[in-house]
Amino acid sequence: MKRTPMQSLVLYGTVILLAALILFPVYWLLVTALSTSADLSQLPPSFWPENAQWQVFAKVWEERPIPTWLANSMLAAIGSVALSMVVSVMAGYALSRFSIRGGHSLGLFILTAKMLPATLLVIPLFSIFRSFGMIGSLWTLVIAHSTLIIPFTTWMLKGYFDTIPRELEQAAMVDGCSPMGAMLRVVLPVATPGLAATALYAFVLSWADYAYARTFLINAQGSWTANLGITTMRGEYTTDWNEISAAAVFVAVPIILIYLFLERYLVGGLTAGAEK
Amino acid sequence: MTRARIFDLARPSRQHLLGYILLAPAVLLVGLIIVYPLVISIDLSLQAVKLPRIGAPRADFTLANYEKLFSSAEFWMACWVTLKLVCVVTIGSLVTGVSTALLVNNRFRGRTLARLAMALPWAVPEVIAVVIFAWIFDSSFGLMSWLLVTLGLSDGMVAWVSTPGAAFWAVAITMIWKGFPFVSIMTLAGLQSIPADFYNAAKVDGANVFQRFRWITLPLLMPVLGVTLVLVILWVFRDFSIIKVLTEGGPLKSTQTLSIMTYDQAFGFFNFGYASAVGVVTLVICVVASLLMLGRETRAMY
Repeated sequence: MKRTPMQSLVLYGTVILLAALILFPVYWLLVTALSTSADLSQLPPSFWPENAQWQVFAKVWEERPIPTWLANSMLAAIGSVALSMVVSVMAGYALSRFSIRGGHSLGLFILTAKMLPATLLVIPLFSIFRSFGMIGSLWTLVIAHSTLIIPFTTWMLKGYFDTIPRELEQAAMVDGCSPMGAMLRVVLPVATPGLAATALYAFVLSWADYAYARTFLINAQGSWTANLGITTMRGEYTTDWNEISAAAVFVAVPIILIYLFLERYLVGGLTAGAEK
Repeated sequence: MTRARIFDLARPSRQHLLGYILLAPAVLLVGLIIVYPLVISIDLSLQAVKLPRIGAPRADFTLANYEKLFSSAEFWMACWVTLKLVCVVTIGSLVTGVSTALLVNNRFRGRTLARLAMALPWAVPEVIAVVIFAWIFDSSFGLMSWLLVTLGLSDGMVAWVSTPGAAFWAVAITMIWKGFPFVSIMTLAGLQSIPADFYNAAKVDGANVFQRFRWITLPLLMPVLGVTLVLVILWVFRDFSIIKVLTEGGPLKSTQTLSIMTYDQAFGFFNFGYASAVGVVTLVICVVASLLMLGRETRAMY
């Protein structure tokens, strides 16, 4: 398909214009972080920071507990991803390979679980955690994030295992491998890309949470996650927009990096169910 | 010897046993952290309780929460706000998402980069998106007000977060920016599963660009778009972070969706029973709406 120069121009023009529009908020976050407070309280705004204040990142890193927030987010994510992955690899494999009685209704249940409003589930979870004296502990997030993650990962992994031919295990079993061994030593190594994609997706889900962290950890400053910490930087009357923006950059960067380098895997996981 | 045989999972007659064993931890965990809490919240919604303790004696059974709910203006207001937001955000995300997907589905140099750029907001955590837009919609030095004034569309700076109509649009725009990349990603995946032969055959038959879109792309995209639509609607329905951090549901409850109302009743006013009732109603609406929207065919997918 050949394009005339005019068509090419229109195509590239539209793409660049749209991309600029879509990326502008992210650019604006950076510009805001690098501007001085004086720059930020004048109109018209400056779209390019004349004297970029790079030290704002160091300042925020030192003056606010950002390392702690990031570490807490990381711990909660690692914990909930590990828990969910172990459980859902087994379940996904079972749903994919064995004709299990009630397997279909289990599938329907998983679908329903994806529809659960977090704001509904947070109420009983709060009551439960409170009676165990767990409020304020990061363990609450490991459990609560698993309620978000397990329905997704089980389904993604089932879909992924479905694409791996059964002959693979059958061959292994003919060669004397036990069914468990066939799964652990033959199927899982083949499925590594799928497992990685699913785990990454789960990580993103956990990292993005705000509702659970706010409910369970708001009174335990030492356990604040990155998202929760950031929202507390907004003052009721005044906000240091350059500082909160710099902090936001720290929180967004890990996920954006994962996205930029591993977009193919993330997107593969996201669309796995829809293409069938 | 015979005892060992019972647990010999390699025996064909025992193979299904392995399936159940592998499934057991997931079923147990899901039962413990999803089903049991869900039962508790349904139970809570049927009691007049403020801040309950697990294990405390149950309060009397009552439908008072639901009666109060259906006769409260606040609830119907929240339903209306939710409906408005679902419509605006879904249409906005769908139009933006599908058009960006169609655009980057063309072959051109730098296409991979363009795809990455157009779906980037998907990777930005919701709270961070709100930080960005809260500043863009700032009432004193925000970019959006300045833009409107400069373009002559507004007489003065708009107090976005304290004006009901404006706050709604601030929330909607933030949600569309955050939500459309998902539509875009899904549509693109759908577009790529359409064989090129279909288009070539149609071209041979003399179909123009619009006819090819109407009679090939659209029908073949429909199943994917259907699922995507439902997922976007559910997302708007249940979203908490964007609204809570941007406007707290205000001003004058103009951005208070059912989700926000559930949360505020529970953790703002500590009416756990009443809040659970709102949450249960929200869940029922979600389930019924998505079952209605997903045809039999798409349902078989799950």
